[in-house]
Amino acid sequence: MEFIDLLALGFGAALTPENLFFCLLGALLGTFIGVLPGIGPTTTIAVLLPITFFLPPLGGIIMLAGIYYGAQYGGSTTAILVNLPGEASTVVTAIDGYKMAQKGRAGAALAIAALGSFFAGTVATFALAIAGPTLSGFALSFGPAEYVALMIFGLLAATILARGPVLKAIGMILIGLLLGTVGTDLSTGASRLTFGSIQLYDGIDFIVIAIGLFGFSEIIENLEKTGSSGVKVAKLTRLWPTREDFKRAWPAVLRGTGVGTFLGILPGGGATLASFSAYSLEKRVSKRPDEFGEGAVEGVAGPEAANNAGAQSSFIPLLTLGIPSNNMMAMMLSAFVIHGLTPGPQILQSQPQFFWGLVASMWIGNAMLLVINLPLIGLWVRLLTIPYRLLYPAILLFCCVGVYSLNNRIFDVALAAGFGLIGYLFRKAKCEPGPLLLGFVLGPLLETNLRRALLISQGDASVFIERPISLILLCATALLLLMMILPNFRKSREEAFKGEEV
Amino acid sequence: MKKTLAISVVALLAATGTAQAEWPTDRPIELIVAFAPGGGTDIMLRTLAPYLENILGAEIPVLNRPGASGEIAYTALAQSNPDGYTLSSLNTPGFLTLRIGRELGFDPAAICPIARIVEDPGALIVQASSPYQTMEELVAYAKANPGAVSMGTTGVGTDEHLAMLQLEEAAGIDITAVPFAGANEAKTALLGGHVTAIGLNVGEYSIADQNSLKAIGQFAEERSLLAPDLLTAKEQGFDVIQSSERGLATRCDVPEDIRAKLSDAVDQALASPEFLEQAKQQALPLSYLSGAEWVEQMPGRLERYTEIFSLIEAGR
Repeated sequence: MEFIDLLALGFGAALTPENLFFCLLGALLGTFIGVLPGIGPTTTIAVLLPITFFLPPLGGIIMLAGIYYGAQYGGSTTAILVNLPGEASTVVTAIDGYKMAQKGRAGAALAIAALGSFFAGTVATFALAIAGPTLSGFALSFGPAEYVALMIFGLLAATILARGPVLKAIGMILIGLLLGTVGTDLSTGASRLTFGSIQLYDGIDFIVIAIGLFGFSEIIENLEKTGSSGVKVAKLTRLWPTREDFKRAWPAVLRGTGVGTFLGILPGGGATLASFSAYSLEKRVSKRPDEFGEGAVEGVAGPEAANNAGAQSSFIPLLTLGIPSNNMMAMMLSAFVIHGLTPGPQILQSQPQFFWGLVASMWIGNAMLLVINLPLIGLWVRLLTIPYRLLYPAILLFCCVGVYSLNNRIFDVALAAGFGLIGYLFRKAKCEPGPLLLGFVLGPLLETNLRRALLISQGDASVFIERPISLILLCATALLLLMMILPNFRKSREEAFKGEEV
Repeated sequence: MKKTLAISVVALLAATGTAQAEWPTDRPIELIVAFAPGGGTDIMLRTLAPYLENILGAEIPVLNRPGASGEIAYTALAQSNPDGYTLSSLNTPGFLTLRIGRELGFDPAAICPIARIVEDPGALIVQASSPYQTMEELVAYAKANPGAVSMGTTGVGTDEHLAMLQLEEAAGIDITAVPFAGANEAKTALLGGHVTAIGLNVGEYSIADQNSLKAIGQFAEERSLLAPDLLTAKEQGFDVIQSSERGLATRCDVPEDIRAKLSDAVDQALASPEFLEQAKQQALPLSYLSGAEWVEQMPGRLERYTEIFSLIEAGR
């Protein structure tokens, strides 16, 4: 009964006209940037983050969350219609979705993607509602030692699951760890890698790196392509899928939802990882693996359900433990902090309307997205015709304003521009910036918690294996490492990410 | 050439003269806050600014310049024009401890406080269900088990850390300091039982969940109005005095009468019933001191902090 009451409280908070407006705004913005290739939710949220200080806390966070899951919907539209994945998480959707569209079945593909996403979003929202409070009681037992084990697991998981060669992913994580050490050391007060500049005493802001690596470098890379080579839009046909489509898509949606919900919770997980894993899972369990790549409806349904479920369930560790599982969630964490809220077990007790309001808004937002995406597909496709010469200067301007307003200093803008150049070099070298950001976020957490754990235990390292949760996590890490080394698993990992090179 | 120079010098003097006489004109007075938006100091000053605007009849935009424990903001203030159109927040112990063992980008002697607004004493906090319900019990346990008592702080040289070092000295015990990135993280660690105690300001404690947290002593000379029933450390036999102060400052070479006007304006604003109501909501222990009175206290505090810092050095 208590659960129902709390959910009612949440819907009460989310259904105010103001919060409904922010939910719709977030969902629309998310769909918008999802449709536009190159502008991801990470960039958008980074740009909008400082602005949310002027919004009411719940409204601001509802909007940012809407952008995140909205982008998962929007990205699938262009992936299916024009073979342009708007988001990294919809790359695999393009493989079979575009083939379906070429066969004149774009409507079926889009409808399956939207319905699958809605179903997955609903399930993941309830998972968050049900598991959230349970996890948060459990969360208090996470002390420094447990966090150390969790961070080690997360960093390793990031390596194994990133796209591209493992060695490059490890390299990027190490660079992220290095950048994370810049600033004043919490334990001794000594300054590290600041080169005497007081601007670096508090370290580098996450958003500076994110906007540089994602926003600026994306634009630089797109400048290479002169002129827009006329995007070819496939003809839209009958919107509704056939009975046969439903029959084949249904189990795939269920599997995708499960995979997505689970991977979203893990550190380093999230929507992108979820969709890649779901695609490889579908391919493996299918009785017709040869149809994949030729327009298999499961290849659309599974990944689309998975990326949406993953987007939603990655909120679970953030809201209950206060730890971001991926760089999007790290951005959400900053949004909470701007409003003086620290996500974690305390927020559930002290401000239940906040947690439940956000959960309820996610379900409402998913319903809104279904409405936006099905009838408005034609409109979204037209967005693709905005010339980049108008779009990119606008994005650049927003990036600069966003970075400057963090601390009101031009130094940060210059730093972000520098990271933009570095990001461009990374792209040229085919190095994913994702693991770098994860290393940057998790590294300092790993370091400070390691030192805290050893301070509390007075230098006794056995604390990591004496505490059960920490021991289990370390065993899981060892298992993961073993799997990485075994050739069988390595092969299937390469297979899972093969489609992305197209 | 010489003549023009002379004329412009005269004109300049005249201009400064009128500026002094008319301060504040319709030019905005910039208020630099040394912390990020949303923090305690920021919210306090954003609440206060409209009252000062009314009293002075000038616009007072708030500009956040966070970072380096306030050094970025103090440096910006030191580089501003000494015309009374730039103010900055000033916090202790930060402003005083910054200079200990660190090369600064500004001269602390060039920055003069104009008014203290808040003085919030520190408090020692344990879990409500903790086996140590008084400072004496905690100290007795720490004496029997050196290093076993851990205390969450928010970094080196912060209020809690300074208070903890004083307690170690006063009681002759050894406590393990465990740094956290913020008061909320430390609170979560205390609730999970990962540290024995934490430090919070009495203001923060008074609005925290008192079913799960319990204060066992406050580090004030006299009990704070926000916690009249909480024993001070001195009452329990330990000489620990530690409070954080928040106020405003300008450059020292801002004309005397302008600084006096600012100081009076703050005094007047703090008497406004509406402001008092808002201060109560934020649990601000208001404690006005004029700039001159505040400055007088500072050398004593600085001496105390320098002494405590030498303890840190010795401990390394």
